[in-house]
Parts: sequence; C-alpha cells; structure tokens
Amino acid sequence: MRDQLGDKLPNIALVGNPNSGKSTIFNQLTGLRQKTGNFPGVTVDVKEGRFHLPNGREAVLTDLPGTYSLYPTASDEKIVATVLTNPEDKHYPDAVVYVADATHLEKHLLLLTQLLDLNLPVVLALNMSDTAAQIGIKVHAAKLTERLGIPVLMVSGRTGENIPRLLGEIEKLIHTPPSKRKSFYSFSEAEKQITEAVCLNLNISSPYAALLIAHHHTWLPFLTSQQSSTIATIVQNKGFSSLKNQVDETLERYDRFTPIVQDSVQRPPQFPSTPTDRIDEVVTHRWFGPFIFFAVMLLVFQSIYDWSTIPMDLIESFFSNLNVSLKDNLPVHWTTDLLTDGILAGLSGILVFVPQIAILFFLVTLLEEVGYMARVVFMFDKTMRRFGMNGRSVVALISGGACAVPAIMSSRTIGNWKERLITVMVTPFISCSARLPVYAVLIGLAVPPEKVLWIFTWQSLAFGSMYALGVVAALGSGYVMKKILRTHEASYLAIELPVYRIPHWKNLWLNVWEKVSAFVIGAGKIILIISVVLWALASFGPGTAMEQATTSAHAVAAAEQFDSSATDDLVAAYRLEASYAGYLGKVIEPAIRPLGYDWKIGIAIIASFAAREVFVGTMSTIYSIGSAEDDVLLREKMRSATFDDSGLPIYTLATALSLLVFYALAMQCMSTLAVVKRETKNWKWPLIQFGFMSTLAYLLAWVVYNLFI
Amino acid sequence: MQRRYRTIPDLKVHESARALAFEDPILAGKLTAMGLLPGTLIEMVRRAPFGNAYYIKADGVRLALRNEEASSILIDA
Repeated sequence: MRDQLGDKLPNIALVGNPNSGKSTIFNQLTGLRQKTGNFPGVTVDVKEGRFHLPNGREAVLTDLPGTYSLYPTASDEKIVATVLTNPEDKHYPDAVVYVADATHLEKHLLLLTQLLDLNLPVVLALNMSDTAAQIGIKVHAAKLTERLGIPVLMVSGRTGENIPRLLGEIEKLIHTPPSKRKSFYSFSEAEKQITEAVCLNLNISSPYAALLIAHHHTWLPFLTSQQSSTIATIVQNKGFSSLKNQVDETLERYDRFTPIVQDSVQRPPQFPSTPTDRIDEVVTHRWFGPFIFFAVMLLVFQSIYDWSTIPMDLIESFFSNLNVSLKDNLPVHWTTDLLTDGILAGLSGILVFVPQIAILFFLVTLLEEVGYMARVVFMFDKTMRRFGMNGRSVVALISGGACAVPAIMSSRTIGNWKERLITVMVTPFISCSARLPVYAVLIGLAVPPEKVLWIFTWQSLAFGSMYALGVVAALGSGYVMKKILRTHEASYLAIELPVYRIPHWKNLWLNVWEKVSAFVIGAGKIILIISVVLWALASFGPGTAMEQATTSAHAVAAAEQFDSSATDDLVAAYRLEASYAGYLGKVIEPAIRPLGYDWKIGIAIIASFAAREVFVGTMSTIYSIGSAEDDVLLREKMRSATFDDSGLPIYTLATALSLLVFYALAMQCMSTLAVVKRETKNWKWPLIQFGFMSTLAYLLAWVVYNLFI
Repeated sequence: MQRRYRTIPDLKVHESARALAFEDPILAGKLTAMGLLPGTLIEMVRRAPFGNAYYIKADGVRLALRNEEASSILIDA
C-alpha cells in the first residue's frame, strides 16, 4: 500500500509532559538504533531513532523534549512549539505518539488537546499501565477514544505491554489522510480575527498554528523578519495580550477535558501516605537532606576512583603490549612510529577514560531516573541563586565532574538566560574526568603518600582539595557574573517532584552507551588528531636540526661511555629539543618560567589546550619513555629532571602544586569551547570563558608557586 | 485599603487550602500548564532546607516552588 509520503521515511514524533516516561517508550521502540541529532537553527540536541512498522517499513522516531504545553518557558520546550507549528520543518511529524502518565491523566492532557487543534494525527499512549493497575486506577480507553476521537492504548514502557499494538496504530495513522477535526478550544472573537489575518498573511491553513504563531512571533526561528514584523503589527492593532489569552486558553482546555477524564478514569480514594512521601520525609529533610546529598556525592566520586582502576589498567596494559609487539615486529620506519606513538597512543588516551565516564554517567542517570535530582534542585535552589544560578544548575555542575560537554548541554532546562549562561560559563571549572590522570601523576610526584588522619592520606586530601578548588572557582565566578550581568527576565524554579521509581535498567544502559559513544567519537576524534599532530611536531624539526641532534647526542654518549639504553634516552631527549615541539616550547618558556615551568612543560601545556588528557601522554613522549605510559616510570623521570640552564630540579613541590592549580582552572578543552559556542550561539562567550579561565589559572599558579618556593 | 489575601507561604506544614488566583500573569501561564489551577487543593508539605522554597502538593502532584512563585498564588481562608 502506498500513501502520500512516497518513498520518504515516515517521521513519528514522541510528545508528552516531563516525567511521562517518554524516553522509556522511545527506548522500547528503537533500542540501540538511536542517535542524538542536532536541530538546525535552534541548537538543541534531540534524540532520533529508527524502528520498523508491522508492514516492515522503516520509520524515524523523534523524541521531542518533554513540555507541559505549547507555551514554552525554556529553550528545550521551544523546540516542540517550533517543530509542530511549521509543516515545512524537516522533523514535522506524519504521526504523533502522545505519551501520558496513566496515573496522572487529569494533569497530562493539556498538551494533547493542543496537538488535536493542530490537526496532527495522534495516538494516545497511556504509559505506566502496570503502576496504574497496581494502585487500582482503571482507565476506559474506549471511552477516551470516543470522547477525544483518537486511538487510545494502555501501554507500559517498562514491561513492553501493548507496544506491538502501538506500532499498529502508528501504521494506521500514517495511512489515513488527516481528517479535519472540530477545534477542541473555542477561539474568542479577538483570537478569530487575529488568526484569520495570520493565516492570510502566512498562507497557512491551521487556525491554531496561526494563533500560536501570533503568540510566539518574537522568537519562532522559521519566520522571516518581515513575517514577524507583519504579525507584530496585526497583534498590536488588535490589542492582543498574549499572556492573558494564554491563561484563558489553558483554563478553558482544562474545563473541557477534566470531565472527559472523570468519566473515563476510576481511581480509588487517595492514600494518606505513599512510599514517595515517606522517602521525602528523610531525603528532603531540613538536616538529613543536605547531609544525604553530600554523602551520595562522596559515594559517587569514591566509585569513580575505585571501580575504574581495574578496567583502566586492563585498557592501558592492552595498548602498551600491543605497542611493544608492533614495534618489535614492524620495520623501523617513521610510519611504524606514527602508528604506535601517534595513533595507538592517542587511542589509548581516549579509551582509558571510558570506564570512568561510564560509571559517572551510570550514577548520574540513576539519580535522575529514580527521581532524586529533582529533590536536589529543590533543596539547593536558594544556594545556587546566591551564585547567579538556578537549582537546576546543580545537575549541570555534578555532571561536570564527568565531562563539561554533556553537563553544559543539560543546562537547557534552565529558562532564564542569565542563569543558564552563568551555568554554562562556570561548569568547566568543575574538575572533570580528563583532569584526573593529570592530578594522579602530579600528586603522585609531589605529595607524600603518608596517612594523616584515620583513612585519609595526604594524597587523597590533595585530590579532594583539587575538587574543592574547582567548586570554589565555579561558585565564585558565578557570583561575579551575577553582579556584572544585567537582566530583567523572570527566573523560575517551579518543578515537578516525580514519584520515586525503580530505575528502568534498559534506559540506564542505553544512556550510558550513548554518552560513552558520544565521547569516544566526538572528543576522541580531537584527541586522536592532537596526538598525531603532537607526534609529528616532536618527530620532525626544521632543516637538518634533527640529524644534527642525533649526531651530537651520539658524540656525547660515546664520550661519557653510556650504555645503549642511556644513549637512546639521550638521543630522544636531544631530538625532542631540536624538534618543532621543542622550538614551540622554548618560545613560550619565558612566559611560563614565573610559574616554575620549563619548555618541556610548555609543550605539554600547548598540547593540553586542545584537551587536558593529553598531558600525561605528552610528558611520556617528552621524557622518552614512549607509549608505555607508565605512571611510575614517568614520575621517576620527572623527579630527576632539571632546568637546562641552572641545573636545579624542576619538579619541586612548588612547581607541582602550581601545575595542579593551573590544570584545575585553565580552559583547556576544545570540545567544551565548541559546545559553549553552540549553546550560546555566539563566539563571544567561549572567548571570554577562555580568557577568564586562563588568566585566573595563570595568576593563581603564579601565587602558589611563589608561596611554596 | 484592600484586604490582603493569604498566599501559599502563609500555610503551615500539612495545612491545605484552595488556590484562588494568580498575581503574576507569566507564572500563571506556567503554573496552570503544570496543573496548578484556581480551585486546586494545595497542601504545604515542607520548606526547603535552606529556606526560600516550598514543597507542596497540588491535587496530589508534588511541586517545588520558590518563595516568589508561591507568594504569587492567592489561597482561600
């Protein structure tokens, strides 16, 4: 059977309120065949997946952000209104699956009635049918179908109940041409006039789409500036008050669908106290609440360190073994070096982070899935506002402990531009997993492992202080930005605290999978490229400098009667100094000498501006222990290193601490800068961020160096 | 002088009242969409640990509201 779509893949959209369990349905339908797509022009990532209809045809499923209505207050919610009011949009759906929580139907149908008025083909999926049955809620789907005029199904994203029937209904919707429905909402006289004028001017047919365009003409991205000024004139001439009409419309919709819900849903008398209430007694308690939060955070960081060591060691030793056997078996040639010291070293540098990122995202998603994050937002809203942010910023700052890139993207739920901008700007101060290996090497080098108190060692306290430094820098600069930036835009908390739920494991694993693969592919590309560029810079030099270095190193070695391995080390060191990398390091040495660094650290710093995690690899290359990336060996080499001119040791406590502070505060991540540009739609902010963070890092590193020298 | 209506922050913990109207039109748009309507039964559950926010139930739905948001909602008696 053919339809009006021709050969184009049908577009299916998932729409629903936050906490309706949309993502569970999405994962049920698409499984691993999903990716995060970028919506052009609006710079928001929306998940897309593919699935097969019962007739074997493939279809695209788009998971639109959860929203309560088509009157958005945050940028993720704006996507929904943007896509659904514009039939030209490439994501405009051929059919919509509206997901509603069967246990709270009386609050979940507002948006559905708006979709009905947009004349979209909709199937209503009443999710959480299992929970509804458990607490004795009975929904008469047939009655809802009769009253709303659309197919209605009880489904469960958790158990998969009725998912095949849902697919059948989607298929039917695609094949039935949309029939004109009677508008659910009855327009006022003023709204009718405005809608007619907008329809005529923009040549659109849906009156409700026209009404929404009249409401949202100031920001809808698909309107040309001429169109929006035409609409502005229409709206002004009619004396149309967007806010008042919006509330009136919402209330009228409730008045109309509330009786429908009451007729079709039987619910038992309310229980006086549910498990959620009892959990919240403790978890949001005045004293226990914050205490539990800090205990949970401690546990999260502990598990990142502890659980990741074994897989990280396995990955590292796999790569170093592979490297050694390749070097032994391949001919001595620069292409072999490129493969082993360039590409494989880079790959190892990417994959070694996978365990930590996976654990952190697993835990953050777990906290979100069970419903805990909303409580954190509630508890810390006031604290965060003091620093120019919003309770929702806590989620971004915590995720920043894994990686600033997804953390910054999570700030989209913050409606207020200033609060969102501050969150985006300060999140990179939080020590991310990429700083971990740098901290590990430097702390191992400079801080004694002796126990101080109970179970703590100086080293673990040093780790703790690095995180504390990041938090203080983030909050402090938030406070400064709050004082500088001016805004009159309203700021909201208003957030639903969802019922606590046992996490859906499939959701969790898919989320971890998605984040890890995004890191490996996105950030990994950059690290790999840097690694190769770095290898080239360190392997080649201007003119015949490299050959001369080799010759003079051999001469020195012969004069001093070095054994062969010491000779090799000396040759490598001389060659590095003669290479382009050595040249670059020497160029910046005067600038970093006040911080206690020599040109070798300079090379590592230059390389780290692309991504911090290349520090350890770079230092290994520089101290010519190759791609073995052995922390212990590297530390020994660094400990015995001296300044070329004075012969004094480089890695004193002062230098190590100064480097630690520098790496904690400096903006050294291209991926983060790119994502900040994308989120703020302007190069200005990432540039300010880069300048501010680097200056602060330099100054504080200088202060620390001079305090400890 | 106009009589001052009670608002949500005036509720004691575990006290309930019905929402009557909203003082702020922007918040009214947001809160009505979330299901807090005139006539909704509001119960004060608790205050936030560091103050300035409230945990309430609106017809059984749990919501967190800031002081400014909560005090824009007029309630009966």
